[in-house]
Amino acid sequence: MKISGSYTVNAERQAVWDRLLDPDSLASCLPGVEKLEKTGENEYDMAMNVGVGMIRGTYDGKVRVNNINEPTDYQMYVEGSGRPGFVKGTGNIELEDKGDGTTEITYEGDVEVGGPVGSVAQRMLGSVSKRMVDQFFSCVEDSIKKGS
Amino acid sequence: MAVTKMFGASVKRREDARMMTGRAHYTDDVRRNHTLHMGVVRSPHAHARITSVDTSAAASMPGVVAVFSGADLVDDIAPVPCAWLIPDSDLKVPEYRAIAVDKARFVGDAVAVVIAEDRYQAEDAADAVNVSYEPLDVVTNQEEAVKDGAPQLYDDVPNNLAFQWKLNGGDFDAAQNSAEVKISQRFVNQRLIPNAMEARGVLADFNPGSGSLEVWLTSQNPHIHRLLLSAVTGIPETDIRVDSTDVGGGFGSKIPLYGGEMVACAIAKKLGRPIKWMESRRENYVTTSHGRDHIDYVDLAATNDGVVTGLRVEAYANHGAYLSTAAPGVPTWLFGTMLSGPYKIPNISCTVNGVLTNTTTTDAYRGAGRPEATYLIERMMDLLAQELGMDPVEIRRKNFIQPDEFPYTVATTLQYDSGNYDGALDKALQMVGYEDLRKKQEQLRSEGRYLGIGFSTYVEVCGLAPSAAAGAMGFQGGLWESATVRVHPSGKATVFTGASPHGQGEETTFAQLISHETGIPFHDIEVVHSDTDRIPFGWGTYGSRSTAVGGSALVYAARNVVEKAKRFAAHMLESSPEDIEFNDGVFSVKGSPERSKTIQDVALAAHLAWDLPEGEKPGLEENYFFDPTNFTFPFGTHICVVEIDAETGAVDVQKYVAVDDLGNVINPMIVDGQVHGGIAQGLAQALYEYAAYDDGGQLLTGSMMDYCVPKFEHIPHMDVDRTVTTTPVNPMGLKGAGETGTIASTPAVVNAIIDALSPLGVKHIDMPLTSQRVWKVIEERKGS
Repeated sequence: MKISGSYTVNAERQAVWDRLLDPDSLASCLPGVEKLEKTGENEYDMAMNVGVGMIRGTYDGKVRVNNINEPTDYQMYVEGSGRPGFVKGTGNIELEDKGDGTTEITYEGDVEVGGPVGSVAQRMLGSVSKRMVDQFFSCVEDSIKKGS
Repeated sequence: MAVTKMFGASVKRREDARMMTGRAHYTDDVRRNHTLHMGVVRSPHAHARITSVDTSAAASMPGVVAVFSGADLVDDIAPVPCAWLIPDSDLKVPEYRAIAVDKARFVGDAVAVVIAEDRYQAEDAADAVNVSYEPLDVVTNQEEAVKDGAPQLYDDVPNNLAFQWKLNGGDFDAAQNSAEVKISQRFVNQRLIPNAMEARGVLADFNPGSGSLEVWLTSQNPHIHRLLLSAVTGIPETDIRVDSTDVGGGFGSKIPLYGGEMVACAIAKKLGRPIKWMESRRENYVTTSHGRDHIDYVDLAATNDGVVTGLRVEAYANHGAYLSTAAPGVPTWLFGTMLSGPYKIPNISCTVNGVLTNTTTTDAYRGAGRPEATYLIERMMDLLAQELGMDPVEIRRKNFIQPDEFPYTVATTLQYDSGNYDGALDKALQMVGYEDLRKKQEQLRSEGRYLGIGFSTYVEVCGLAPSAAAGAMGFQGGLWESATVRVHPSGKATVFTGASPHGQGEETTFAQLISHETGIPFHDIEVVHSDTDRIPFGWGTYGSRSTAVGGSALVYAARNVVEKAKRFAAHMLESSPEDIEFNDGVFSVKGSPERSKTIQDVALAAHLAWDLPEGEKPGLEENYFFDPTNFTFPFGTHICVVEIDAETGAVDVQKYVAVDDLGNVINPMIVDGQVHGGIAQGLAQALYEYAAYDDGGQLLTGSMMDYCVPKFEHIPHMDVDRTVTTTPVNPMGLKGAGETGTIASTPAVVNAIIDALSPLGVKHIDMPLTSQRVWKVIEERKGS
């Protein structure tokens, strides 16, 4: 399944970049994160509790950040599995400095899901992932505001 | 109640009282002390190597008694059996483990089971089983799966081709070469998911003291399941009891033996405690066998005046990841032999490719093979009519087998018992008001509206089956049926049948039948079925066989009871049996009706045995084993009238007329119910239902939210009537009614829609004809 979208953050690009690649802000802003541990350079073990429709449960997996071009773009690889099934995905994230103190984040990715979450909840996945991404970016925005 | 009226009376179903008030004993209602519950860990991957199964975390969770991977149980249970080994087809039956050992081959394939004190603990612990997978390439489509280079499910099944089966009658190539008209069409008969109200389940109770295993099972054929459970667990047949008295629907999906049921039995023996497993609805969608899933390439040869001279079919049947119990027989014998329909087609050639893919298994689903055959022949007749500019009614009449030609042997070898196809068609045309409808259609077309009339003049094969035919087809069993009629001292009777009703109402119809034969009041007759400890033997309920075959066994057993009672009555009346008349349960001396004994009087005398007739034994009980000499062939005409909203593609079914010829009918109300339900199911295939997989083998329609089982508002009013052409095959002259509606309705609905859209030049749309698909075609046509 393809997902894509954009979100404009009311903050300077460098500040946004720093937050996006900071494991602590990832852990505090990604909805449902139960665990995030660094296991190597730009690599983390993660446990996340997510509900899609009636399929809720914890996914254990890995997050890896690749092809980092500070402060404009990077690639993120996520995989997780658990009772609800499995999720695997790769996404590209781009940050554009809008010149007015805001930053536009554009993302696009390809997600593969399987198991119960695939068969029962796949048609809701688009809207749920969009909501989660929006939640994440707005949390990042808030944390920059509070931090500055 | 006059006895002669019981055959043909709309008696209300006696089983409904307990079923409608929650008093039935479905498998999950049965309680045994110290029962453990099973949870199943299932593969989320459609194709993956299982590299490790770590059960340690799960094993230490609260309430968990044991955890087993596939490898742990290899010595305790044999593979899931396939019991329809079609001959001359290079059939390969790959190993089907109840719990996968090295590889998972579809989403939902079991990889481990957890046994715990309650269901919640079992499910929670199943979460904690840590399985490592190495995902492999996936193939879900049968045409893709047979291509070179496609992902291979098994090392020893090249190109995933489990079998290739051929049936030839006449010379199709010659017919094709001399044909004046040739029609070719590819049809997709999409995959469907059975939705019985009760999902599958089992309660297995092994007694280590006696060595016996009691099994409550959601089964359509408990004796077959007892036999197979014995074979896979090694427990002798004599030590196993299977009870499937109350089963909440099956539609074919409860014919097979499945892994979950086998595993529960094996573990019950291992642990010495009862094991219960009831699948969730979500599990039901991915693990209970699906139905249909054909891709058919069809060629038809005909003359310019509409006489069909030949038919060729190349079918690709998707069997899913393994061969389920009856699977190979469904797209072959139950499909290929019915390709002539009600028509005289001298040259028929059929090739069926049985293909394995990374999807849920497929097996019999209401109609099983016959809906697929009926759909394509009825669609081809309409395509031919369209090509020649003929009325679909006329083209059918032109090719019908005529009433005086029965018994008629079709090119596909079956011998049709009896029929009057024009009779049913005439009646249906009159009911629907055909001539006026065509005028109305003309009128609406001039206003830019799309009204369509669709026909299905079907014939199908029921009453499975002469056992010799079953053997010739490779079915690993007989298809006769047993019956016992036991009249008690009080004159009440218990009858035992090898049929296994699970919603069809035979506790009522069989009591009517026995009342009709013996004169014992309906309410004094108890019908016992589906308990292997009480029934001599039985092959179960499917293939519209229960009444045609099981009912015949009962009739003959009852007639033998009456014969014995007549000899007793003669003795009691100091007369000879030849001078005794039997009417409505009363034996009387010919010419002196006041000298009489009731069957109840005789029953008491036979049990007291104080004064036995010379050479007679006490008691009043007879067994009968009935093996039919032929199948039965119900037929009829279904007509569907639709109007299509060209703006939205929505299909409005305005009229539905069904005239079925099922031979004689024991209970018209129950038969009407069977027909109504069958039509709803077949119409749902035409318009709504579709099991969709994504490219990764994930079932996208895995719940009732995603898979469109029709609701009340989706089903039109139906005008149902009958003609009666009896069959000589059984003593009741009846043919079978369980599947006709499903078989007949699908092409009637599709033909109506194509007829509606024919002014746009539309020739075919693959099912389901959802408003989106119909709208798309209309838009394309308008644009072109």
